[in-house]
Formats: sequence, structure tokens, C-alpha cells
Amino acid sequence: MMKTENRLLDVKDLTIEIDTRSGPATIVDSIDLHVGKGETLGVVGESGCGKSLTMLSLMRLLPNKIRVAKGEAHFDDRDLQKMSNRELRKVRGGDIGFVFQDPMTSLNPVMRIGDQLAEPLIYHRGMSRKQARERAIELLRLVGIPGPEERIQAYPHELSGGMRQRVMIAIGLACEPKLLIADEPTTALDVTIQAQIIDLVKGLREKLGMSVVWITHDLALIAGLVDRVVVLYAGTVVEDAPVDELYANPRHPYTRGLLASIPKLSDAPASRLNSIGGTPPEPGRRPQGCPFAPRCPLAMDICRTHVPKLEPISAAGSHRAACFAVEKAREAA
Amino acid sequence: MSTVQAQPAPLAEEAPVSLWRDAWYRLKRNRLAIFGLCVIVLLAFVALFGPYLTPYDFLSQDLEARNQAPSLAHLFGTDDLGRDVFSRVVYGTRTAFLVAVVVTAIAIVIGTVLGAVAGFFGNPFDRVIMWLTDVTMSVPNLLLVVVINASLKTPIAQWMEARYLETLNPFYRETVWIDFLLVFGSMALISWPPYARLVRAQVLSIRSRPYITAAQALGLSNRIILTRYVIPNALGPLIVAVSAGLGTAMVLESAFSFLGVGVNPPTPSWGNMISDGLRVWQHYPHLLAAPAAVLGLASVAFSFLGDGLNDALNPRGAK
Repeated sequence: MMKTENRLLDVKDLTIEIDTRSGPATIVDSIDLHVGKGETLGVVGESGCGKSLTMLSLMRLLPNKIRVAKGEAHFDDRDLQKMSNRELRKVRGGDIGFVFQDPMTSLNPVMRIGDQLAEPLIYHRGMSRKQARERAIELLRLVGIPGPEERIQAYPHELSGGMRQRVMIAIGLACEPKLLIADEPTTALDVTIQAQIIDLVKGLREKLGMSVVWITHDLALIAGLVDRVVVLYAGTVVEDAPVDELYANPRHPYTRGLLASIPKLSDAPASRLNSIGGTPPEPGRRPQGCPFAPRCPLAMDICRTHVPKLEPISAAGSHRAACFAVEKAREAA
Repeated sequence: MSTVQAQPAPLAEEAPVSLWRDAWYRLKRNRLAIFGLCVIVLLAFVALFGPYLTPYDFLSQDLEARNQAPSLAHLFGTDDLGRDVFSRVVYGTRTAFLVAVVVTAIAIVIGTVLGAVAGFFGNPFDRVIMWLTDVTMSVPNLLLVVVINASLKTPIAQWMEARYLETLNPFYRETVWIDFLLVFGSMALISWPPYARLVRAQVLSIRSRPYITAAQALGLSNRIILTRYVIPNALGPLIVAVSAGLGTAMVLESAFSFLGVGVNPPTPSWGNMISDGLRVWQHYPHLLAAPAAVLGLASVAFSFLGDGLNDALNPRGAK
């Protein structure tokens, strides 16, 4: 297991609630997460499982009516939840860069992209307009936008989706953050562009030595990018493993279901795509025991009454899963 | 041989197709809007350069030539004191534009600031500001202006008079600007709530857009986000409202002058000219027709332009 002092981001027992008419409902339930220095973490889960909210909560950017009920989030040994707004603003954009899901709506439509790139540089790094402009050109070149000298004058609507996502990444990287959080940055893009963006981030990560958290619902996409994967289901961590280990030896039935539903070239033609039956529970209607139990092929009685803990299942302790069936199988072995 | 060197133009001056240029392109194809724009530009020109365009002073009376029908010497005829109606209409244009621009400007500043604060920061600001808006809107416009003017005009004029007699300072003798101040002030006081509501609604919708969260995630301050991200994106509908608002302000000023609570004679205003003309319209219809027609034209021009801007700035609504 990674030593605590090597952790750049350390989230403990984070719980997020939403106010509903029938009282608060839990969306994210006691999540533990950590990212080492220079590590790339993939956070995987289906829509609505709380991936994005977890990341937004780190920056205290949760929408109305959604709040952190308990838990800590240490970044560089400082608790993000307890920071003053002034300190937090320095961390946002300065130490933690954010790349959002939708490049079509995440850029200010009435501001030239050069100005949007320059804004954090002026604000966090105290650069002059001129310096910021030069740095903006450099950044656009870094993310592979051709003719950056002219492009800084462009408005977002004049760029294609892939170009806009590159601009978003450039903005996220502007102040050379220690951590880049990318929230499904390739979902809105077509497949060839997705691969380009992944390669881009891979290259930049090595060049800048930063940590990356990559949120996605696409397990296959991030196989070559991340070091470690955390699988979320209904606001809980169900499995946490090094990427190769996870693909070779998935333990949690949900992870297995996810991996099985990736189509393979070796599949028989016209064979049915595997899928996991049922839908995730709504917040406020979580089952009493394991949240995955109603959809789980291995569910036992205990699964419906008790919540499994995230337990190490390998000797090194780097592979952890929250499942009674896995525990039982290990004990039997 | 040309001495001008072929130099690459500096980047900053070279704006690509911007949102505004796009909107202008759409506006250009809307004939009614362009008609409105032409009329407004013409009237604005007349308002600015009025004194150089009029053949007569708007106050000079020619009692030999009273109530004359339109002729080459007097394009719109003369009124009951023998004053040239054309010159008075031109000066009325000045009054109308002055009132419309100043009142709308004050109303927009108040409305934008209050609306943006209410929408962006939410409660408790929102509740207080919206309460203020509702209260202001619930008072009948005309009544409020009449009350302000009736209760303040005379005491202020008397006070000025007393100060003048005491100090002989010519500053206290001029009362025309007091007149304007009261008209501007009272009209702005009743005109800001619609702008505040509009801006608030805009800000509420913009506040939840992803680029605002993105800006917050960059650590930008609320002030920067409000002034550089929220307000610029709220401007489109505001511009439309301003165009319509300028026309409304002109009509409103005429209405107040017509009722005798607006600009006082002898300062010409379309409203008080219409009021004067109405008494004798059976005998001298041109005294009513000339200012009424210009007022109507201005009002229609602003509506057309407002409509055109609405279409031009909402690309989704256009074909």
C-alpha cells in the first residue's frame, strides 16, 4: 500500500447528501480515495454514481442543495473542506486544475479563448496581460493546437469540439497544477479525438510530473493511461486496484460485469452484448445492505442486511474490494 | 510607388467573426429593423445638431404670423404665439432623446446591478431586492411621478428663488435643470424594475451553466466572474430591452409633459406640444399632427429595432 506521506490527495470517509422533500438522501457514502504524487488514478462508474460530485466537492463547488455531510479531503496535507475561501481560491486553478466534461458549454461563449487562458495566469501567477498572452500561446502549442498566435483571438464557437477540449485542458494546465482532475473529458468527442486527447494527457503528465484523476464510465478507454483504478457504484468504492491487476483479476461482481460488457473483437459475430441487469438505486432508496446486491449474481443473505467493507484481498494490500462473496471465496481458498 | 509597407496587422485589431458581427449580419437583412435604425439615427442627428438645423429660434414669437398652415417658410406651420412648429419639434427631439437616454441609462445601471446581485448571490439579497422591485412596480407609474413632481417641484423652486435673492448667485436662477432632474429622477425610479427582473432571470440561468462552474474551478473571484462571465452573457436580452425601453421612455416623457408633470414650458417637448395642439386641433390640426407624428415615428422605430435585435441576438430563433 502506498505510504501516506506520498499522497497528494487523500479523501477519507467523504459523504455527500442531497436535500429532498423527504429529507436528506445520501449520494456518496463514506468514500475513501487517495492519489499519490505523480500517480494517475482512474475513477470508473456509471452515470449518477457520484464520480463528478465527489470531485466537485473537493473544490467545494457542489450545486445548491447538495453538500458534504462528513469526511475530510487532504490536499498536500491541508484539509480542503476547512480552508478559508481565500485559500481555496488559490488552490482552485492554481494547485488543482479541472477539465470539464462538455467542451461545448464549459467555455465562456463571449470571451476570446486567449483571454480565458490568460485569466488564471493573471489571477494566480500575477502575470501582466502581455506575459499571460505569450504563455497562452505557449499553452495552446503544448496541447497541439495549430497556429496558436491566431487561435488566441478566436471565440469558442469558432473551434471544433476536439479543439475546445484541448483549450479546456490548456486552461486546466495553465498554472502547472500539482493535480489535474479530468471529468469525462472525452465523452463529448468522437473516438479518434478521444485517443488523441488521451495521448496528449499522457505526454503532458510525463512532461509536467503532475498527478491526474481521470473520471470516466469507459473502462477500456483508460487502460493505457492510468496506474490505478477505483470503481464506484452508487456512491461507494467497490473495488480499488492497480490497473493491470484489475483487468487480469477483477474481483467485485460489478467490476466483472463492467468488464464483461466491453465488446471484444474475438466475440462471435452477432453475439449479444453483455449487460448488467437492473438499474442503480436512486439516492434515498438505497438498499439496506450492499448497494449492488439487488443486481448481483452472487448475492447472499448477508449482502441484503450488511454493508461490506473495502478489504484488502491481495497480500500486498494494493487490491481491495468490498464484497462478501469475494471474502468468502478467499476464506475458502 | 506606395510608401506603405505591407506589414502584418497586429493581432489584437484583427477580430474574427464574433458573436456581435454575426448578429449585425442578421440584423442587416431585417428591413424593418434597418428602417427603425435609420429613423433613430436621423432623429439622433437632429437631436444633436438641432440648433444648426432650425430656421428659427424655438422661442421667437411672431404675433403677425400666428396659427399659420404649413408653408415653405414654416414647414410645419406656426402655433398660437407665432412660433415655428418645425423648430419646436426639432428641439422637442432634443428633449425626448435627452430624457430617454439619461432615464434609460440610470434605470439600466440600477436594474443591472440590483438584478445581477440578486441573481448571483441569492438570498438574502435576492429576497430584499425582489421585494423592492415588487413594491416599486405595484405603485402606479403615473401616480408616483405626479406625486414626486407635485410635492417637490414647488418647494425646490421656492428654495432656489430664496437662495438667489440671498446670494445673487446666477447658479440658483436657472431652474430648467431642476425640471430635468426631477423628470429624470422620477422616471428612472419607475423604470428600473423590469431591467432588474430581466437581468436577475438571465443571471439565474447563466449561473448554473457549466462555464461558470469552470470559472469557479479556476479560482477566479466572484467579482471577475460576475463582470467578465455573467454580465457579458446576459447582455443580449438587455440590449433588446434597452432599445424598447428608449422608445417607452420617450412616450412616457410625452405622457408626463402632456399631463403637465413633465418638462415645463417653454422648453419644447413633444408631449406638451401635443397637449397644446389638442385644444385647437379642429381649427389647426397641424399643431397636433406634427409632434404626434414624430412621436409615433420614433416609438415605432424603436420597436422595430428592438424586434430586429431580438431576432439577431437569438440565433436559435432565426431561420
